Amino acid sequence: MASRRGFIKAGGLALFGISVGGVPSFVARAANSRKSIGLYKKNKILVCIFQRGAMDGLMAVTPFNDEYLKAARPTLSMSAAKAQDTTPLIDLDGRFGMHPSMTAFEPLFRDKRLAIVHGIGSPNNTRSHFDAQDYMESGTPFNKGTSSGWLNRATGLLGHDATPFRAVSLTSSMPRSFYGDNPSVAISNLQDFAIQLKGNPMGANMAAKSFEELYDQTSSALLNKTGKESFDAVKLLQKTDVRNYQPANNAVYPNSPLGNSLKQIAQLIKMDVGLEVAFAESGGWDTHFNQGAVTGIFSRNVLDLSTSIAAFWTDMGTYQDDVTLMTMTEFGRTVKQNGTGGTDHGRASCNFILGNNVSGGVVHGDVKTLAIENLEDGRDLAVTTDFRAVFSEVADRHLRINNDTVLFPDWKGQKIGVMNA
Amino acid sequence: MKKSLRTPLFALLVITTIVSFSSFIGGPSLFTPKLKFPYKKAGLTERQAAAHLLSRFTFGATTAEVDAAVKMGLENWFEQQLAMSLPDDTVKQLLSSYDALQLSNADIVKTYPRPGKILQMAVKDGLINKDSVNKTDRPEYRAQLQGYLKEKGMKPQQELFRQFINQKILRATYSNNQLQEVLTDFWFNHFNVSITKNDCAEFIPVYERDAIRPNVLGKFEDLLVATAKSPAMLLYLDNFVSSGNDMVANNRVNPNNPKPRQVQGLNENYAREVMELHTLGVDGGYTQKDVTEAARVLTGWTIFPIEDYGGGGVQNARKMIDRIGEDKLEGLGFVHQGDFFFAANRHDKNEKTVLGKTFKANGGYEEGMELLKMLAHHPSTAKFISRKIAVRFVSDDPPQSLIDKMAKTFVDKDGDIREVLITMACAPEFWEPAALREKTKSPFELAISSVRSLNATVRQPFQLNNWINKMGQKMYYYQAPTGFPDNGKYWINTGALLNRMNFGLALASNRIPGIIVDLVKLNNNHEPESTEAALMTFSKMVMPERNLDETIKRLTPMLNDPDLVKKVNDAAGKTTPVVEPNMANNNDEMMMDKPEGDKKPKDRPTRNNDVINTSMLAGNNTMLSQVVGIIIGSPEFQRK
Repeated sequence: MASRRGFIKAGGLALFGISVGGVPSFVARAANSRKSIGLYKKNKILVCIFQRGAMDGLMAVTPFNDEYLKAARPTLSMSAAKAQDTTPLIDLDGRFGMHPSMTAFEPLFRDKRLAIVHGIGSPNNTRSHFDAQDYMESGTPFNKGTSSGWLNRATGLLGHDATPFRAVSLTSSMPRSFYGDNPSVAISNLQDFAIQLKGNPMGANMAAKSFEELYDQTSSALLNKTGKESFDAVKLLQKTDVRNYQPANNAVYPNSPLGNSLKQIAQLIKMDVGLEVAFAESGGWDTHFNQGAVTGIFSRNVLDLSTSIAAFWTDMGTYQDDVTLMTMTEFGRTVKQNGTGGTDHGRASCNFILGNNVSGGVVHGDVKTLAIENLEDGRDLAVTTDFRAVFSEVADRHLRINNDTVLFPDWKGQKIGVMNA
Repeated sequence: MKKSLRTPLFALLVITTIVSFSSFIGGPSLFTPKLKFPYKKAGLTERQAAAHLLSRFTFGATTAEVDAAVKMGLENWFEQQLAMSLPDDTVKQLLSSYDALQLSNADIVKTYPRPGKILQMAVKDGLINKDSVNKTDRPEYRAQLQGYLKEKGMKPQQELFRQFINQKILRATYSNNQLQEVLTDFWFNHFNVSITKNDCAEFIPVYERDAIRPNVLGKFEDLLVATAKSPAMLLYLDNFVSSGNDMVANNRVNPNNPKPRQVQGLNENYAREVMELHTLGVDGGYTQKDVTEAARVLTGWTIFPIEDYGGGGVQNARKMIDRIGEDKLEGLGFVHQGDFFFAANRHDKNEKTVLGKTFKANGGYEEGMELLKMLAHHPSTAKFISRKIAVRFVSDDPPQSLIDKMAKTFVDKDGDIREVLITMACAPEFWEPAALREKTKSPFELAISSVRSLNATVRQPFQLNNWINKMGQKMYYYQAPTGFPDNGKYWINTGALLNRMNFGLALASNRIPGIIVDLVKLNNNHEPESTEAALMTFSKMVMPERNLDETIKRLTPMLNDPDLVKKVNDAAGKTTPVVEPNMANNNDEMMMDKPEGDKKPKDRPTRNNDVINTSMLAGNNTMLSQVVGIIIGSPEFQRK
């Protein structure tokens, strides 16, 4: 670990020192800002995945001994007991079992790198996808008018010099979490980071040179600076073979939107371009119809989620110390299954946090027996952990941001120990 | 005291109205122009001033339009735009096949059901076995569903949004009443609602058409009230569920009082945002107590039941209305206006106090109207709205002196938006060098100003929308009630900037399907002799009255490299552009099915109403389109 960093430090500064072309000026600048305070420290990176549609936390991580759950879900509950005709849940601790399609997560959990928080959710009991996502992403569950997203505010609190790749969302439009004044980029495909003219690479090349000249001379400081950074970024990505990227350690990403997003985040991390906050999305969690159990829609979803994340982790290799990954979803689903083999909008769900400094191998949080008197509104898994307690702790321990009055202005709760001190 | 103040103000208003009305009837030439733009003092020529004026109050202008404004007089041009009454036959013709745009909310709900609802109906009608619902991505299954929709006379909801987005692009591109389009865009963003929220999505086209568009130059109060009563806003900010029956604050969990799913109680979302974002501004001097009290004033403001939309509360209203009988509602304090419904039984009847004003018990519907009137006329609102307008039209950080002038007009003229705009355009601050080219175009503005400047033919507006999305602005999908931030810093980041450059190149080389550019025709069928000449000619055409010396100086040496030019042309000769002009009208973008009766006119007019000549299109002169693409992607063209 230390030797790799030493190499990068020496190499980076040497390149900078003799000003060889190819080191983007923003990287040099960011490195320089650290040098000037006498401290070269690699950035920590937080990767967030939003599972849009509300994941059924009770199916992802099932309290399998709960008789109430079995009664409420005649066709949707699974057992941890070995059986001939079906695949059992992955027994985590004698009480909770992970969905059988999440085998990719099992070694990470056993290795104590993966933590689960169960009973997590918002204090606002809205069951509207829109409102709940909005509140979770703005980080203010009772205020619609918050103009910024919590990850944008987090970016602003990082303090040191930024590169244009500090906050990158692998989505086609800017997610609510990234709304705000701190520069961030939404890009669905790194290959788009180029001047392109279909069928005429020569023309594109000439146009790129022309644009570079023009943005170099403009009197608008904003366009001038961003223009320079854009062309630096283009050159940087040209040097790397983005299209033929080979993941490390034989990691295999699923060919899914989430897999592709995480693969590209891994590429950015390895390019050392100053990425600190990354965002990706995963869809299909709104399982009102035929959710399935051991197989089916939900099973395919968690398979994609767990294999994508596990591939990313494998690919990270020596970068693992720098990275923490966290999933989130707007709410959970009803304890009882509905008339169409699915579940409806509920309250609490669970989330996953992966990293070397995570208090892993534990199902955190408080899940009571699912007797009706323990349910919220008499129907849903109760929210016992405010999502802000977990987000705030991860931001604090991993990114060293502890200004909760900015990050989560209305929140005054306690952290729950999902990260090691 | 209050009364004595009111009378002279009213008289003044009548006089202003008469004056402006008569100047409109008689035509500008009969009267000395009422307005006077102080651009000469700022050192601008009339033509420079015209270019600035048009860059701010239109979606982009050609040299010819700048010339025309100079000819008629800048003040007259502005008055004409304020009148919003220029004939718009082109737009009418282009929109004639867009059947969804005329529908009422009730018809929209019937014709364009939500995807989930289609599935429900299909299962109910036995068309689809509910066990096979999860296989809906199979083509044959989709075809089956399509057939079902057709049989029922329904269409997929995305077709509604396609028509809605296309109409925005077509109006912005082709309308002669440009200011009306610019302001519709501005006010929609101010009173933002979002298609990302399913509950309100299908009501947004009518919202823009009936609540925003007719009021863009009227009294601010009318605009505020129209939005407050619109289903889109009532659903977007949840006021439709807010009720005074039980004071459960804003969905806050109360462990001692578990409620069934439909929580009946106060919802503060709209009350907060109407103060913070629509009227007073965040520093407008209200407290949390005011928010709660205002929410209580607005309890019972909901939508009149439309089919089975709006959840439990609205459906209970349907049962209640049936029980009471429509004719008896009014006598009981209920109010039914179009899609708006004041449910007296859900209203909190107790006394309230907002911003020091007391609303006596049993105020009913009228107290909500009084509240909105008070907010619309509040001094904080005058400042907040004036600043927001100045940010849009003058600079990201407009001078306080200008905001003060505009706010004074806002107060003096009863919140008349037209008068506030006149004050702004007549103020020296509007014309100062600090304001010129200071605004950065939004992606939408960039795209529309490009097609307008190049006199392009927009056959497939949705293709333009795809680029606008890529450049960072998903129209009508901005999630937060704040609307898109209106500053250059928000729009310009590395990814977005590269996409702007790529957009320029793609547009000028006719590589955006259904957007047709004829550069040679644009130059009066005259092909420039050299790339240098092309650069000179087209820069001036696309960016009238800008100082382009540096641009030209920087580009000339690169364009003059004979090897490069040859290589570029040779390389391009091996490929053909993606647009075959005579095929472009076959398919209006990526809908999975093309609705019947949605026949596109064979030829669409360009902006000067000619039918395009397809013979010279696309790819004949790669170097020329390359040069124009660079101009569109240049930093200078990103500014307005």
